[in-house]
Amino acid sequence: MTRINKPLDDDLLMRKLKNVLLKEDREQLMQLKEVLDDPNQLSEKVNPLIEQRLDFLKKNFPKEYRLVVNQIVEERLRGFQDEVLNIMYPVLGKMIRKYITHQFQLMKDRIDTTVRSTFSIEALKRKLKSVFLGVNESDLVMSQIDGPVIEEIYVIQRNSGLLLGSASLNNTIDQDVIAGMLTAIKSFVEDAFQRESEDLERIQYGSYKIFIQNYHSYYIAVVMSGSLSAKESDALSTRLSNFTDKELTQISNIDNEAIQHISSKLNEYFVQPQRNN
Amino acid sequence: MTSKKVILTGSFGVGKTSLFNQFIYARFSDRYLTTIGVKVNKKVVKVGDREISLLLWDIAGEVTQDKVPTSYFLGASGIVYVFDLTRPLTYKNIETDINYLKDLLPGGIIKIVGNKKDLVSEEQIEAVKNSLSVPVNITTSAKTGENVSDLFQELGTDLIG
Ligand SMILES: Nc1nc2c(ncn2[C@@H]2O[C@H](COP(=O)(O)OP(=O)(O)OP(=O)(O)O)[C@@H](O)[C@H]2O)c(=O)[nH]1
Ligand SMILES: [Mg+2]
Repeated sequence: MTRINKPLDDDLLMRKLKNVLLKEDREQLMQLKEVLDDPNQLSEKVNPLIEQRLDFLKKNFPKEYRLVVNQIVEERLRGFQDEVLNIMYPVLGKMIRKYITHQFQLMKDRIDTTVRSTFSIEALKRKLKSVFLGVNESDLVMSQIDGPVIEEIYVIQRNSGLLLGSASLNNTIDQDVIAGMLTAIKSFVEDAFQRESEDLERIQYGSYKIFIQNYHSYYIAVVMSGSLSAKESDALSTRLSNFTDKELTQISNIDNEAIQHISSKLNEYFVQPQRNN
Repeated sequence: MTSKKVILTGSFGVGKTSLFNQFIYARFSDRYLTTIGVKVNKKVVKVGDREISLLLWDIAGEVTQDKVPTSYFLGASGIVYVFDLTRPLTYKNIETDINYLKDLLPGGIIKIVGNKKDLVSEEQIEAVKNSLSVPVNITTSAKTGENVSDLFQELGTDLIG
């Protein structure tokens, strides 16, 4: 008979027993844990299941739900036709404008090469003109086709958007309203991009370009049709600065008289000369 | 002629655009076309023997005024704050909104307008007015045109005065 000299530790015994009995279970558990912890292994196991489910949905969804979905979409579209159009319209307009701008650029490039390659009397004349005027030749060709025309010019109070003076070639639109809308668009864009020190300088609408020159308490907006080359826009900017230096610095308070004065000066500087051409 | 900038603001769908369409073109539509961004319109108002040109900025409705870009309010002389008499949600924040606008435009004229009065009874209007902590200046209907020109006429008078 053997004698156990140490009293049996229940706890130890239990653990040993567990080790023996549950060894297999534990191994499986470890494996499972490994799979769960390793994303690669996990997805290997789970993906087929998901795929199967997706497959099922793909096959059955159109069958079961297409009619209902179609009906809902159709109803919505019908009910919101105007709204949809309203959303689409600017996007389409933008695409068309982009396309036209692009075509214009292509045309400009083509003209550039023509200018370079031809040597005619016309070209010689252009060359002379460009030497005298300091405009590059392709700009000159462009301006013969489609020179920039100042349609409208506004001096607008910066914050309120109220008109401080304006002149226009055709006098067809309500200039107060345009000045307000321009200011709204300007503050919207400047707000949206959170650029306090940067101002909106150019808006393009169809074949119209709105050139904006900013000053401290007002800004000048020039609405132009035709294309405007970089040189021409520089020249315009200089003309605007000349104008403000000469005509706008001494105006201190804005009353009707001041507005009238600014308007007639705008006309004299920017609009009238075009009529004489 | 003097020009004044006036902001039309308030929650969406309260009838800002309708009010000014009624005022400017004397027309009303039941269809709701929400305003995107801002629409500026002009109307000349006669006050006595003087004329004043109102440049009305109709801005897209926001649930609370602090959501409206503050730059829209710059240089404004007056604000027309519109709420919908039939929708409590549109006057729930009225006190906070008005205080906010007063801070934004110190000394500016603010008109508080309850619109769509054609849809509610006189008693209901009184109940709404009594429940508010700010005074309602005028109640209007952009649909029938009731009080619409009065609203802008009063505004013109205040702006000249
Ligand atoms: N019955 C009635 N309906 C009105 C009145 N005013 C506006 N509505 C209707 O209410 C809806 C919203 O009117 P809008 O003028 O577009 O509202 P809004 O405040 O300009 O809305 P947002 O531009 O989204 O901020 C339209 O369906 C209008 O026909 C009114 O006085 N009476
Ligand atoms: Mg609106």
